[in-house]
Amino acid sequence: MRVGIVGAGFMGSTHAAGWAETEATIAGFVTKSPPAAQALADQYQARLYPDFETMLAEVDVVDICTPTHLHHEMVLKAAAAGKSIICEKPLARTVAQGQEMIAACRSAGVKLLVAHVVRFFPEYAQAKAAVANGDIGQPAVVRLTRGTFRPKKAADNWFVDFDKSGGMMFDLMVHDFDVARWIAGEVASVFAKNITSTRPDAPVDYGLAILKHRGGVISHVEGSWAYPPPLFRTRFEIAGSDGWLEFDSAKTSAIGLHLRQQPTDAPDVPLPSSPLSESPYTTQIKAFYHALTQDAPVPVSAADGLAAIQIAVAALESARRGVAIELEQLPEVSA
Amino acid sequence: MKIGMMSVAHLHAEAYIHNLETIPGVELIGIADEDQARGQHFAEMYQARFYPSYEAMFAEQPDGVLVCSENANHWPLVELAAEAGVHILSEKPLATNLADAQAMLAACQAAQVILMTAFPMRFSAPLLEIKAMLADGSLGQLYACNTTNQGQMPIAHSRWFVDKELAGGGAVMDHTVHLADILRWYLESEVVEVFAQTNHILHADTVEVETGGLLMLTFADGAFASIDCSWSKPLNYPTWGGLTMELISERGLTTIDPFSQNLTVYNQSQRSHRWTYWGSDANQAMIEEFVAAIREQRSPKVTGEDGYKALEVALAAYASAKSNQPVTLPLV
Repeated sequence: MRVGIVGAGFMGSTHAAGWAETEATIAGFVTKSPPAAQALADQYQARLYPDFETMLAEVDVVDICTPTHLHHEMVLKAAAAGKSIICEKPLARTVAQGQEMIAACRSAGVKLLVAHVVRFFPEYAQAKAAVANGDIGQPAVVRLTRGTFRPKKAADNWFVDFDKSGGMMFDLMVHDFDVARWIAGEVASVFAKNITSTRPDAPVDYGLAILKHRGGVISHVEGSWAYPPPLFRTRFEIAGSDGWLEFDSAKTSAIGLHLRQQPTDAPDVPLPSSPLSESPYTTQIKAFYHALTQDAPVPVSAADGLAAIQIAVAALESARRGVAIELEQLPEVSA
Repeated sequence: MKIGMMSVAHLHAEAYIHNLETIPGVELIGIADEDQARGQHFAEMYQARFYPSYEAMFAEQPDGVLVCSENANHWPLVELAAEAGVHILSEKPLATNLADAQAMLAACQAAQVILMTAFPMRFSAPLLEIKAMLADGSLGQLYACNTTNQGQMPIAHSRWFVDKELAGGGAVMDHTVHLADILRWYLESEVVEVFAQTNHILHADTVEVETGGLLMLTFADGAFASIDCSWSKPLNYPTWGGLTMELISERGLTTIDPFSQNLTVYNQSQRSHRWTYWGSDANQAMIEEFVAAIREQRSPKVTGEDGYKALEVALAAYASAKSNQPVTLPLV
C-alpha cells in the first residue's frame, strides 16, 4: 500500500510517523513549502510531489492533513480517482460539504476515514469502554474540557483565519463534540457562548457549549485558546446513574518537569501528551491501516465526522445568534 | 449578644451552632422549631434551650436569629422575626419564589432589621484572594467562567431537600445560588440572561425533582459563565461534593477549588479512604460577619438583595429548561 500525505506541516509529519509503524509505504508528500518539507521526505525515503494530481496517480491511499477549508475539494478529487482517503478533522468546513464528500466516496466505492484522534487516546477509549460496560450506569451529565493557547505559526496561520478553520469552536471543540456524541448519543440541541462573539477584540478565544442529547443526557463542553503557552489541558467527567468517572490531564501527567533553564518557548501547535509506549496518533493510523487492508471496523466513521461538524456549526450559530439551535437528523448519520 | 435559631430543618444549623459558640460575647439563647420533636431532639443534642414557640423565643429579646427552615418556610419565619424587630440571617436560597423574596426584603426594610443571606462562599479564603486580585486588576478583564457546584443527592440529610414544594425544586434550586452570587460579586455586573438544561437520570427512581443541571449566564458587561449544579457526585465519593471555578481573563486562566484543601486519610482495617478538610471555615467567617453587622449597626457584606438576585437566576433556569431557550432577566 502506497500512501500519499497532503500537507507536510505539523499534522502531516505526525501522521507520517504513524504510517512508518505500518507495512504501508509512504510514497510522498504534497506541500506548499517544498524546501521546508525536504527533510521530512528524506526521513521516510519519500518523494515531494509537485502537485496533488501527480501524487494521486501514484498512490493507493491519500492522507489529507491540510487546513480544513481544503478538505472538501481534495476529498472529491481523491474519490474521483478511486483512492482510499484519510481526512483530518474537522471533516469539512460546512455540513453540506461533508455530505457531498460522503456521497462522493460512497458512489466511488472508496473508504473515507476521519482522523478524530481523541477516540484513540487511551483515557478516552477506556472511559467509553467503562460506560459501555455499565460501570457508571446510564450517563446523565457529561463534562468535557480541551484548553490551550491559540496556535501560532510563523507564516500562513490558517488556524486564526475563521474562513479557513472555523476558529476555536470549530477546530478544537469539534474533538469533544465528537466525544460527547460518542459517549452520550445523538445531539438534539446546542446552546453556546464564545468570546469571539461577545468580545471580538479580545486576543483570545474561549467557548462553552451545553448540549442536549436525544436520549436525555446533558453535556458541558469547554474549549479554550485562551491559556498562556505552553499549557495544554484536557479533562472530562461522566456522571452516571450508578457512578462517576473523571480524568484530568494535569493530575495524570505521570512526569513533572520543573527544570532550571527550561526552554521557554512553546510549540506552534500544542499537543496533549502523557507518556505512552505508542502515540495515539500512531494507534489511529494503525487502525486505519487495518481498516483499509483487512476491512476491520474503525472506531470513527465519516458519518461521525459529519455529525461532529454539524454540532460545531450549530454551536457557532448559537453563539452568534444567542439562541439554542435544534439539530436536524442527517440521513448520513441516522442511516 | 443573644442569637436564636429558628427551625433546624437545614443541616447547616449544626455547623452554625458550633460557629456561634466560638464568638466572644455571643450567646445562643436557644432553638425554636414548629416541628417540636425535631427541635427538642436538636436542642438536647447541643444542650440548648428549646422554646415551644417562636414567640416564646422572641420574648427573650434576641438580637438576631438564624433561619434554618425548609426553603419554602423562610418567608413566614422571616416575617415573624421582622415583626419582632430581630435581625435575620436566612439560609439560602432566600425563598422558593420571587414574591416571597420580595416580601422578605420589604418586611425587613420596613422593620429596619438586617436581612443577610447565608452565602458562606463569599467568606471563603481562596475565593476572597481571587476577589482581591480581580479588584486590583491583577487578572485583567474577566471574560468567561466555567463553574461547578456539584454534590451528592441530599436525601440522606433531610427528605425535604428533594421535595419540590418545600425545597422549591431539585439540584437547580439547591446548587445554583452560591455561584450565581459569587459570579455577580466577582464581575460586579448583573445577570441579564439565563439558559439551562436539566434532566432526571441520576437517582431517577428515588426522587422526582431534577438531579442534573447545566446553566449558562450572560452578564450585563458581556461576560458569560456556566454553572453545573448537578447532584452528580456518587454517594461513595470521598466528600459531599464541591465548588470549583475557572476564570478566563485577559491574563490567562485562574482556577479555584476551595474544597481541595484536604488531607487524604486511608484506614486499612476499614479498607476506606476519606478526605478531611483543613481549609479555613467559611461558615465561621459568615456568622462572624452577621454578628459584626448587628454590633456595628451596618449592612452585612451579603444582603437579602443578593439572595433575591441569586434566586432569580435559579428561577430563570427553570423557565429556560422548560422553553429550551434563554430567558431574559429581570423576571419581574
